[in-house]
Amino acid sequence: MTAHAGHIDHHHDATTTTGIPNKKLFMWAFLASDCMFFGCLIASHLIYRLHPPAGAPDPRDIFSIELTSASTFVLLMSSLLMALAVNAIQKGNVRTTRRMLLGTIVFGLIFLMGQVYEFNHFVHEKGLTLSNSVFGSTFYTLTGTHGTHVAIGVLWLVMMYIRTFKPLDESRGQGWVLKGFLHFLAFAGLVVLGMYTLLQLVHAFETGEGLGAFFSHNFIGVGGSLALLAVLIGFARSGPSAVDFGEANAIDVESMGLYWHFVDIVWIVIFPVVYLLEYVVLS
Amino acid sequence: MSAAAILPGSAEAQAHAHEGKFHVFVQLAMILAVITGLELLIIYMPIAHWLIITILLGLSAIKFLCVIFVFMHLRWDKVFCTVLFFIGLILAGGTVGALLLIHTADASKPVGSAYDQA
Repeated sequence: MTAHAGHIDHHHDATTTTGIPNKKLFMWAFLASDCMFFGCLIASHLIYRLHPPAGAPDPRDIFSIELTSASTFVLLMSSLLMALAVNAIQKGNVRTTRRMLLGTIVFGLIFLMGQVYEFNHFVHEKGLTLSNSVFGSTFYTLTGTHGTHVAIGVLWLVMMYIRTFKPLDESRGQGWVLKGFLHFLAFAGLVVLGMYTLLQLVHAFETGEGLGAFFSHNFIGVGGSLALLAVLIGFARSGPSAVDFGEANAIDVESMGLYWHFVDIVWIVIFPVVYLLEYVVLS
Repeated sequence: MSAAAILPGSAEAQAHAHEGKFHVFVQLAMILAVITGLELLIIYMPIAHWLIITILLGLSAIKFLCVIFVFMHLRWDKVFCTVLFFIGLILAGGTVGALLLIHTADASKPVGSAYDQA
């Protein structure tokens, strides 16, 4: 990347023959090839949907358009946070980058939870499995492959988040990796336990049990969430003051961002083609 | 300081560019959310199916292009990145189109007892 008076040009690199940072060029080439991969999966799904065998399930009886729409919104907002994370690191703002990365991880996890719930619901309550119909085979293959991409993206985000804590002082050893991992575990635990406890609270209000019954039944959930929150604050406050992560690492965050946005654009195609068109073509 | 007084490539110019991008990103996210809402509404509209499908695909294409050119920075990057990605995209689109076209032909329709009853 070219430096001008201490600032980095994040879009051009005079040291490469193409003028494009090599990591970025690699990522664009990979994404172009991934387009063909998803194109074939989408085509397979559409072909079998256009020629359904006798007794094929009606997707409108299976799909929950409300849940899928919410997932779509969550993924779009995660893309915004990812773009803001890249914007922040290009300014050398590590704290904001961390917050945005955490937000992207949360939204990615919510999307994955939605997909797990959806698949579980389809298999156990709607009877749609990977092998009992052609529709099930192509649907799970396509959306499952996309979900796998999201899971890989979340894993990458987690590793990048941990990387932001690498201390500048190398004499401190590799302890920062374990500390960063524990920091993330506390965060993930808080997200999962917090969401579970929140759902229990909603359930308690729906059934009219009240707050007293909620606290007595969910003592571990509430206490655990608060304890994890305290641990999280402790980790955040005890981080190294000087880290080996800054504007020079912007290309790493940007490459990861390209991958995350690609996952989003694939869903932008899947959402209308696989879900919404079912309500139009067959109505 | 006026915009004219800011030298291209200077620290201030870059700071302005980053600040501008922040607002662009937030506004685009709002627009994408609204388009997603429109997509949901459009499927319940009492209009011709071909028109709904066209609008859905059009809105999807707008969202797609907005994300790749703004969130993925293609509009600020070298044209070669756009060319590279569109090579993959055109090949993928062509494959999808060709496969769908092939399978609309009578000779390509699936056969067998399950399909005979359908």
